[in-house]
Order: sequence, then C-alpha cells, then structure tokens
Amino acid sequence: MIKTFYGIDQLVTAPSARTFLAAIIVGLLFGFALERAGFGSSRKLAGIFYFRDMTVLKVMFTALITAMLGLSLVVALGWNDLESQVYILPTLYAAQIVGGLIFGVGFVLSSWCPGTAAVGLASGKLDALVFLVGVIIGTIVYNESYGLTAGLLGKGTVLMAFGLSRGLFALLFTLAAVGAFYFAEWIERRVGGDGGSGGKYLHSMFLRAFSLVLIIVAVAVFILPNKPGAAGMASAGASSEQALLEAVEGAEDHIEPEELADALMQGEQDLIVVDVRPPGEYRAFHIPGAVNVPLAELIDYLAPYKNQGRVVLYSNGMTHPAQARDVLARLGFQNVFMLTDGIQGFLDRCLKPVSLRREPLPEPQAERVRVWRAYFLGTDKLAPTPSGQPDVFRP
Amino acid sequence: MNENPNAKVAEGDGSPKPYWNPYLAGLLLGGALLASFLILGAGLGASAVPIRCGALLENLVAPAHTQASEFFGQKYLADGANPLRYYLVFMFVGTFLGGLFSAVLARRMNFCVERGKAFGAVPRLVLAIAGGILVGYASALAGGCTSGQALTGGALLANGSIVFMLCVFAGGYAAAYFVRRQWHD
Repeated sequence: MIKTFYGIDQLVTAPSARTFLAAIIVGLLFGFALERAGFGSSRKLAGIFYFRDMTVLKVMFTALITAMLGLSLVVALGWNDLESQVYILPTLYAAQIVGGLIFGVGFVLSSWCPGTAAVGLASGKLDALVFLVGVIIGTIVYNESYGLTAGLLGKGTVLMAFGLSRGLFALLFTLAAVGAFYFAEWIERRVGGDGGSGGKYLHSMFLRAFSLVLIIVAVAVFILPNKPGAAGMASAGASSEQALLEAVEGAEDHIEPEELADALMQGEQDLIVVDVRPPGEYRAFHIPGAVNVPLAELIDYLAPYKNQGRVVLYSNGMTHPAQARDVLARLGFQNVFMLTDGIQGFLDRCLKPVSLRREPLPEPQAERVRVWRAYFLGTDKLAPTPSGQPDVFRP
Repeated sequence: MNENPNAKVAEGDGSPKPYWNPYLAGLLLGGALLASFLILGAGLGASAVPIRCGALLENLVAPAHTQASEFFGQKYLADGANPLRYYLVFMFVGTFLGGLFSAVLARRMNFCVERGKAFGAVPRLVLAIAGGILVGYASALAGGCTSGQALTGGALLANGSIVFMLCVFAGGYAAAYFVRRQWHD
C-alpha cells in the first residue's frame, strides 16, 4: 500500500516549505485546467444557467468522474486506503443544503465562484476582483452573524455513497453524467447560443468514444472487488464489540505515561496526542505536542487518522477518554489509546522532579525523568538538579 | 469560438485562441484533483482563502472582538495562529499563476468588466459584489465552495457534498431569470 505523499495531518498540523510547494504545484494544474476550459470568463460560467453554454456541466462532471473513478481504482487495487489517508468532508445536511442554495444564488448573480474568480482575476476581469472582495465581506458577515445559523451546524458525520458500494455509486454516477453530456449538447444546439457553435459534440465520434471509455472504466471499477462505503463502516463497528470488551479487560487500550513520553521525544510518526479538557485548562498546561479537541468535535477531527498511527486521548481523569474511546471503537477506530491516570499521571510519573518524590528513584529512572523534564519543560538542562533547590513545579 | 465581446478588442492577429474541448479540460481538472488527493491527502479548495483573509482583516480592525468570535476566533485565530499559513492559501496562489500562464499563452488576458453589451459596468459590478457576499457567507456556512465541497466532496462520494452541489444548481436556476439582463447584448 502506498501512502499519500504528505497526508492531511502533516499538511495542517506540521506544514513546511515542501507541503506549501506541493500545494502550489497542484494549484498550478488546477488553475491551468480551469482557464483552458474557459472558466476565466464569467459569461461562459453563467451560460449553464441559461442553457446556452453548458461547459460548466461538461467540465465539472468529467472532472468529478475522472477523480471518482481514479480514486476508486486506487482503492480497489489496494494501493491506498482512502478512508484513513484522505481527508473526507463530513456531511452536515442542514448547513450544506442552506449553504448550497445561498451559494447558487450568489453564483448566478456574480457568475463567479472562488476558484474560477482566481483564474478570472488572472485573466484581467475586474468583476472577478470585485467578486472576491464581496466574498471576503461575506465571510465577515458570517462571522458577525454566526449565531443566526449556528443551529444548522453540528458534529457532522462521514457518510459516503448514500449507502451504496463505492463501485456501484460511481457506475450509476457515470451513466447519469454521460446522459447529462448528451442532454447538454442537445439543449445547446436547441437554444442555439454562442453563434450556433453550441452542441457541436452531439453527433461526434469523439463524444461517443469518450462516453464509451468512461463507462468501460466505471464497469471495471464496479466489477473489481470493492471496499464498501458507509455500510461497511457500520458493520465493522458492530462486529468489534466483543473485541472491544476484550481490549478493555486486558487494558490494551491504555498507554503508560512513560511510554508516551518516550514516543513523543522520539518523534514517533503518526502519533496524535489529544487533550480533551476545556480550552482554558489546555492553555494553562498541556503535554507539549498535544492538540486540544473538544469531545464533541473528536469524531470529525480524528476521521483522517482512523487506523493510521496511534491516537492517545487524555483528560484530567480517565472517564471522558474512556467513553470517547468506546465511541471511536464502535466507529471502527482500532488505534485509540488513553493515557493511564490522565495528565496527572503524566505529571507525577514523568515530570515531577526527582527531588520532590516521596520515594527515591533508582538512578536510571531518575535519569529518564531528568531527560523528560529537559525535553518537555526545557528545564534541568540534563544536569542533575542540586537538591535543596527544587524547581518550581508548574502544572 | 470566443464569445466575449470585450475580448474582441484584442489586436487583429493576436486574437484569443479557442478554448479547449470541455471534456478534455475536465479530464485535466480531474487529474489535478486526483493528484491533489494522492500527493496532499486532501482535495482542491478555494474558499478557505477569502475566509482566512476575512479573519485576518477583521482581526486587524478589531482584534479583541475578532479573537473572541466563535467562527474566526476559535477556528482561525486560536493561539495567535497566522490564518494565511495554510496549504490552501498556497494552492490559491498556484491557481492564480496557472490561470495567468494559460490566459497569457492563449492571449485571453484582457482587462475588462465582463458583461452583456446592453448592460452597464456599474450594475454588473454591483451584482458581482452582491453575489460575492452571498457566496462568501454560504462557503463559510457549508464549509467549502464549488471546489472544496462540490468537486472534492463529490469525487469522494461524500453525501453532504453531493447534496450541496445539487442545491447550488437549484439556487442558481431559481435566481437566473432575475439577473438574465446582465448578459443581454
């Protein structure tokens, strides 16, 4: 299995010049394709709403199918486990329906959308610049009236393919798109926009061959053994109840503070440490390298890390992480651990100065504590602390 | 086949080249999306940039108020983060440059306000900014635009993104009649 080159975690939590350069290069391709299609022109973009120029439909559906079938092939051939490696947008119907309708009205008024406006701006279109200023204003309006639509927002869940298998959905979508291509060509010709050049692919060999190739690839993807979409996630969760209880019994779902400290110090790849306490407590002190995610947002946040690397949850005690861990296990996460005794355990067992401990530590253990303290607190400088002058113990 | 009346202003022999076959342009766009998934681990996106610019600008004008706000403050400005240090901002720069490269190559670079001949530049710009405000609001609400939701989410078969795309077209067709004059020649 190949992994994605960077992955969303590195992209967002540990960005570097290289990830930014990769994003620019992908953007170059994106912008070039948009401009070649004619999307640097608002008149052309608006055409779809008046049936005189259906380019938007043709380009968008072709791009969708290309990426959809490409991804499905990659998954079916086992090259990449999509669900754990690619960030999948959560579904939040209320916000997406209301947002989509408003977006559509804005789209037809301005005849731009944010991506095409970047290309329109590059083509010298002043209306694209004015549109983008409007978009920025719109986001500020949203921020200022956040409460107005906050009721539409919620946790969101990863739902895919409307319960069908990936392959079947992609095949149905491809057939629908080919139908849409012919409809687009037919109606362009009928409306007769754009100097009569519309619909020129209606009876072309090109569109016949193109449609045939798309359908053949879609059928091939459908026949190949498929990973089920949303349905599979649910059943995987149900079958793991027994395994979950067994893991609880064997305390396999715990990670000891010492192990976590060493893993963090060694920079373990794909290790995500999540602090589920309120933001105030997180700000006061947290394990360096931990991210603060409220319990309500945990499922969304962790979706990209499902069964990839280790996820460690901690709080003040053990109850919240344990409950969160159970929920995640039911959703098919098998890589979630909780920190034994929570943050207090980490403080007491890893960061408490040797000199303040009730029982003397054997020297190798004391040395580990000094190393951890130097790493996580930036104190001690690896030198033994002179006794009688204990460090300020700062939780 | 260039139907942009303003583009006709271009000099005689340097007239714009025709657009690509839309299906082939779609293939290239789909290839860019696929490359984004496999290289970056995430799809394409554009509306993240105006959202982040909005957070930055409001934070310049009213820092305390903005940092306390639920959307900009908690999502984009937490812990003094720089909202522009984000891969989609760089992707947007790339999108602009890719578009510029293509437009110059095809001689489609042309400073104008694109509109129907029978429609004024000022009303066209009013529609552009009004539409922009709606698009900005809706992108922030839905968590993406035609790139991040419709295209990217659609290719991933994400239910909500496909519903979003259908709603965009529904909203667009519902309002199209009322603004049709901006394209009348």
